[in-house]
Amino acid sequence: MRVYHALVLGLVLAGCKKVGPSSDSTAARVQGGAPIVADARIGTPNPPGGEGEWVMPARDYASSRYSTLAQITSANVKNLKAAWTFSTGVLRGHEGQPLVVNKTMYLVTPYPNVAYAIDLTQPGYPLKWKFRPENAQAAAGTACCDVVNRGAAYADGKIVYNLLDGHTVAVDAESGKQLWRVQMADLNRGETITMAPIVVKNRVIVGSSGGEMGVRGWIAALDLATGRELWRAYNTGSDADVKIGARFKPFYATERGKDLGLTSWPGDSWKVGGGAVWGWLSYDPTLNLVYHGTSNPGPWNQDVRPGDNKWTCAILARDADTGELVWAFQVTPHDLWDYDAVNENILVDMPVKGQPRKALVHFDRNGFAYTLDRQTGEVLLAQPYVPMNWAKYINLQTGRPEIDSSKATKQGKLVKNICPSLEGGKNQQPAAFSPQTGLFYVPTNNLCMDFESRPVSYIAGTPYIGANAPETGGPGDYKGEFMAWDAANGRKVWGIREPFPVWGGALVTAGNVVFYGTLDGWFKAANARTGEVLWQFKVGSGVVGNPITYTAPDGKQYIAVYSGIGGDMGLLIAGDVAANLPFDVRERGTTLPDLAKYTSWGGMLFVFAL
Amino acid sequence: MRPILALCATLGLASAIGCVNQSDAAESREPDIVRRAMQQAQQPASAAGQPTLIQHPEHIQPGISLRGGFTQLANPFQGDPAKIKEGGALFVSYNCMDCHGAEGSGAMGPSLADGRFHFGGTAGEVYQSIYEGRPDGMPAWGGRIPDDQIWRLVAYVQSLGANKDVATENFTGKTIQKMGH
Repeated sequence: MRVYHALVLGLVLAGCKKVGPSSDSTAARVQGGAPIVADARIGTPNPPGGEGEWVMPARDYASSRYSTLAQITSANVKNLKAAWTFSTGVLRGHEGQPLVVNKTMYLVTPYPNVAYAIDLTQPGYPLKWKFRPENAQAAAGTACCDVVNRGAAYADGKIVYNLLDGHTVAVDAESGKQLWRVQMADLNRGETITMAPIVVKNRVIVGSSGGEMGVRGWIAALDLATGRELWRAYNTGSDADVKIGARFKPFYATERGKDLGLTSWPGDSWKVGGGAVWGWLSYDPTLNLVYHGTSNPGPWNQDVRPGDNKWTCAILARDADTGELVWAFQVTPHDLWDYDAVNENILVDMPVKGQPRKALVHFDRNGFAYTLDRQTGEVLLAQPYVPMNWAKYINLQTGRPEIDSSKATKQGKLVKNICPSLEGGKNQQPAAFSPQTGLFYVPTNNLCMDFESRPVSYIAGTPYIGANAPETGGPGDYKGEFMAWDAANGRKVWGIREPFPVWGGALVTAGNVVFYGTLDGWFKAANARTGEVLWQFKVGSGVVGNPITYTAPDGKQYIAVYSGIGGDMGLLIAGDVAANLPFDVRERGTTLPDLAKYTSWGGMLFVFAL
Repeated sequence: MRPILALCATLGLASAIGCVNQSDAAESREPDIVRRAMQQAQQPASAAGQPTLIQHPEHIQPGISLRGGFTQLANPFQGDPAKIKEGGALFVSYNCMDCHGAEGSGAMGPSLADGRFHFGGTAGEVYQSIYEGRPDGMPAWGGRIPDDQIWRLVAYVQSLGANKDVATENFTGKTIQKMGH
């Protein structure tokens, strides 16, 4: 059967459209050099490594993705040129980002998770080493959303990262020799690992993927020197397993009570209830807290799991030394729409409603941008940042959404036009924060969905979903928007509309430039104050990775980003997917029917310089 | 091969044919039809007056079984509309759909609706893919679900792919022609 899709010509011809500052007062302020949001600072000390290095996934523990490098500025970025490129040899979704440490660049590819060390001191950028880990092939068919890897962390002479088949490895940064390898996840139960670890005080923090496979999500700490497991906390189950004890002081009453990880589930369903940790981690050294989100509950069909389903779709703050839960905030209790809460938590100190706060800013899949107090888990602000219709608002007294009952999903009922779609207002693509402007730079999706739940059985190692959820573009003739967000006031400052969901992350620099890539293969630089696009370059394949910047041994500032479409949104092209039928679980063909016109598989590092 | 445990979730809303009883699964034997095929395949060819076949397993191409018996299997339900329909229900119940997409359109796992099979598209080859699994993550269902259910799945899968593939995607003009690829 042939299916025809109308191509919205105007959409494609128009490309991206800038949407101006949201108010006159903003317009006035962006002309000047003062911050647009005053007194907002990165909430953690300077990252380890030099100013020109990038030693952990989001550059610092606050997950700011901000660099103080300023050779490349909003005035000269128009002269940016491709300096060199490198093929990773893998043609799947290149989420994540390289690292730059000690004049060496480190890359990790999607499955089979090859690591490369590139010598930045030599002409032609030869490899210092290449590491090909043992990595079970079955992992490729167990990962829900392409065979991605979100990057490595560097600490104490070691490159540490996760393998799709559930291992964590440490490799000597100089020699490439494997130092240790530990099995953390069980493929036979549908667990894989895609997330990027962080290293906190000689502890490697890792978490599991598999929210669509009926896993029981966990986060764990390994000894950096040996790989020995120091603690592991589950996100469902008894208080002992979740590591809830005397120190647990959640802000809201609904988060208090004994064994909520058991009692908010029927029967033993918490054992296959999801709550995976596949997103980004943050760490506050002063509070000694690791912040992480948890994934959707399993299955998507909510009829089999009445209750809050704790601690899925939640933001959790854990003691880095012990894993003890210190506070928890369930962003979407009893999730009905696959709104994982795993998106990054950006730690910023700033005044909110006139009061200085140690804040945590989180752009949730559910379409709300949350500004929390990171000491307590109190919700200070929660405003929609994308078209959103499933909730009326977030009740700041309870932290819970007031749900529009017409958008509540139920088995046997086809619920139409829920916004955002299950891909969320934002997904894995991480935002950035600039202390210069006080703004957050957020790559977003503008998608909606229909949702129909159906019966489902748990069969270990197979998907545990029980719903069909075809997606379409949201209101307006754009499907993504790269925006600047004021998290002190909960408002958008500017936005750049894109024909496709913006599935790559953001980088912002002291040169007043913000960088991001698009699914159709444009890598762009914009003025961080105004959102004016200043430069763009068409890379080989769609961008789903996160740009970084560094100073090379030649003293020049460089910008690096992966090109290689894939991940959940790009699976249409990166996978062997027909996607031409109307009721696929993830029918990319109908969601983004014209994407294949603009890009194809790839796996390249692009590096730019003036 | 990736082992797979067929378990009934205590909470599960198993559909009529859906959930496999664990004890049945554990007791399942290799189906007769496969055993016969294996025995056939293991007969020295020279016994029937033919030259002896020397195999080089390291040179076997993907999708070509060492155990040739599978490719000789015929589907007792080939083209039977009632069995195809039942196969479609099994395809949902065993969560095949969540990997391979609705009507096999492709998702986590490859499309089954484009007529392009990585490991062969004959009845015997599709049977083998389901029975033995495939190394990229396709679970082995042999011994876990009854043989006649596998054949219903084969009948269903083979009903999906016919004539849907188009080699050319033309992106010019006002519409884009989409097809299974």
